[in-house]
Amino acid sequence: MIDAALLLAVLAVPLAAAVATWLVPGDDLRLILVVPTALVGLGLGLTLVARVVQRGRFTAFGDWLYLDHLGALALLIVTLVSALAALYSIAYFRSSANVHTLRAGETRRYFALFHLFVFTMVAATVAGNLGLLWTAVTATTFASAPLVDFYGSHGPLEAAWKFIMLAVAGELIALFGFLCLYASAVGWLGGSYNFAIPVLRAAGPHLSPTLATLGFLLVLVGFGTKAGLAPMHTWLPDAHSQAPAPICSMLSGAELNCAMLAIVRVLALATPAQHGGSELHSALLAFGLLSMAVGVVFLVSQRDYKRLLAYSSVDQMGLIAAGFGLGAPLAVFGALLQMLAHSLAKCLMFFNAGNLLLRFRTTTISEVRGMIRVAPAAAVLVLAGALAIAGAPPFGLFLSEASIVAGGIGARAFGAAGLIALLLLVGFLALVAPFSTMVFGEGRADPLPRRAELGAAVLLPGYVLLAAVLVLGVFVPGPLHTLLADAAREVRR
Amino acid sequence: MLPEITLAALFLLVSFQLIVARRLRTAVGAYQLQSWLLGGIAIALFVHTHLTELLLFGLLIVSLKGVAIPTLLRRRMRVALSAGRESSYHVGFPTALLLGAALSLAGFIAASRIPSPSHLLPGADLGIGIAVLLLGLFTTTARRDGVLQMGGLLAAENGLLLIGLVLAPRLSLLIEFALVLDVLIAVVVMSFLLARMREEVFSTDTSELTRLRG
Repeated sequence: MIDAALLLAVLAVPLAAAVATWLVPGDDLRLILVVPTALVGLGLGLTLVARVVQRGRFTAFGDWLYLDHLGALALLIVTLVSALAALYSIAYFRSSANVHTLRAGETRRYFALFHLFVFTMVAATVAGNLGLLWTAVTATTFASAPLVDFYGSHGPLEAAWKFIMLAVAGELIALFGFLCLYASAVGWLGGSYNFAIPVLRAAGPHLSPTLATLGFLLVLVGFGTKAGLAPMHTWLPDAHSQAPAPICSMLSGAELNCAMLAIVRVLALATPAQHGGSELHSALLAFGLLSMAVGVVFLVSQRDYKRLLAYSSVDQMGLIAAGFGLGAPLAVFGALLQMLAHSLAKCLMFFNAGNLLLRFRTTTISEVRGMIRVAPAAAVLVLAGALAIAGAPPFGLFLSEASIVAGGIGARAFGAAGLIALLLLVGFLALVAPFSTMVFGEGRADPLPRRAELGAAVLLPGYVLLAAVLVLGVFVPGPLHTLLADAAREVRR
Repeated sequence: MLPEITLAALFLLVSFQLIVARRLRTAVGAYQLQSWLLGGIAIALFVHTHLTELLLFGLLIVSLKGVAIPTLLRRRMRVALSAGRESSYHVGFPTALLLGAALSLAGFIAASRIPSPSHLLPGADLGIGIAVLLLGLFTTTARRDGVLQMGGLLAAENGLLLIGLVLAPRLSLLIEFALVLDVLIAVVVMSFLLARMREEVFSTDTSELTRLRG
């Protein structure tokens, strides 16, 4: 009963905030609304995650809503990232250094879409019915595409159009996959059954292997497009670099995980029908390795720091897919931890990208030099964030990446593990080098007047994230470890 | 079974109309006809099986995709439609037609390998559904004009709903309603972006949108 009420509330809060933002008069009220929405949403998310950790998975409203450990991890990511991105949005647009302060109509459009975007992502994490899951993941595209085009100039428009065309094409292919998955259980459950995750889990090995395999592969290609897996990733570097910085952090930090969650859910449902076969995992591993390779190649040749971060997302989502594809318990655990750690670190790095843009008014790497001298507090955050996202030791990503590689070696997949380690090493250098020259490099004098100083408000959300990524690297707290271990048990073959 | 096959064959033919359409107006008309045919297949299936959800689904498709979306498209695209501007492909028209035929064939070959769990509709309909899905996606990637790219996605979605009628005819109506509603929202968002495109580059020709690279 309480669970059902909590699930309903975590959905209702962002939706109500979106409607209220659209209806209330005056921008002050709209901005005041953002803070309680973010905090209440985060509180509800954490409460639900804690309940799953303590008492296991549960359903509500006749399987329409469902929260298991995997969904709880995604819910944790979505509520954390969106709460911090909401706070950063206010700081970013109100910063005295921002040349683009929000005008009257823009505040309304931005925050109404923002809350709606959060609502669709939360819906994807708590959807218990697979039809609802598809609808929610698809709806994230429609809420976020207008936000990509928020600045309303040529580049963002082009990015938004490419994004919506490719994402919708992918979503249609994924829907074909879901239809095959539905058909795979018709022989066992009859023509008309409740298309819910618990129902299909129970049907397990009785699914038609051909249809279940086909269903998974179509979902992999379809939602893989939305999760940024190569070779369907081509929209991602544009969309994730042209949107306003706080939106970029949501796109890379939260939205990609919703698509990955759907892929992993279908993987977990289709695997039992395979009777121990590993075709599904091999396909996921192949897409993962290709994405890492493509991501790393474009990292090396990048001149724009926002695009650099976007290609890093392709690389990282590839790594996560590869971790699940390896299928060994340790690798799956690593992939789940990587989902969380990458989201926090990437969110931090896009806040950094926003701060760099505020301070230097350019996204070109070679035009930013000597940040440590003009803005030391922001520069420390940039450098620490770059080390974190690249996977340097004291941070969470090091632990998850090491787990994935070790899991691969343990499963005797030496080729895949070696390739992952090599790509991680090249990726590390390609990420740390540009950011360290931006921080320490000798260069032209600071071109901006003093009024471009960064305030504490734009730095604080970043420092919160940095602390979280650092904690994940030093020790994974007990409840979180339980959550990840149980989620891994739900996924692995 | 006869009316379902005939309607499905017409459904495929109309999809080719979408491929060869040189004017936006023709394309919107083809999409409308395609939606009516899809609704007709669902209703014909209802006559055979007496499953009420199929009747409701057919009516939903006819009202939303056969009436509401084409009306919305005509209203939002009035400027572009009345211009009667010819739209081109990244490839030539004959090549596009040939590729379309090849994709249809691929659809039928794929369908012959998918076991169909229910036998409400003949297997040929699954082939037609996959063929239309592929034709729609092909139109989206090969057309230059944004309106026609969107038309391709809408046509692909129709093909998918036909696949759904073969593979999952008794899927909950609530889910199907959500799927169709999703398309309506997609059309609203895409038309908004197309309107922005006309402001920005004075046309809906997406070959103007090639600045972001690398």
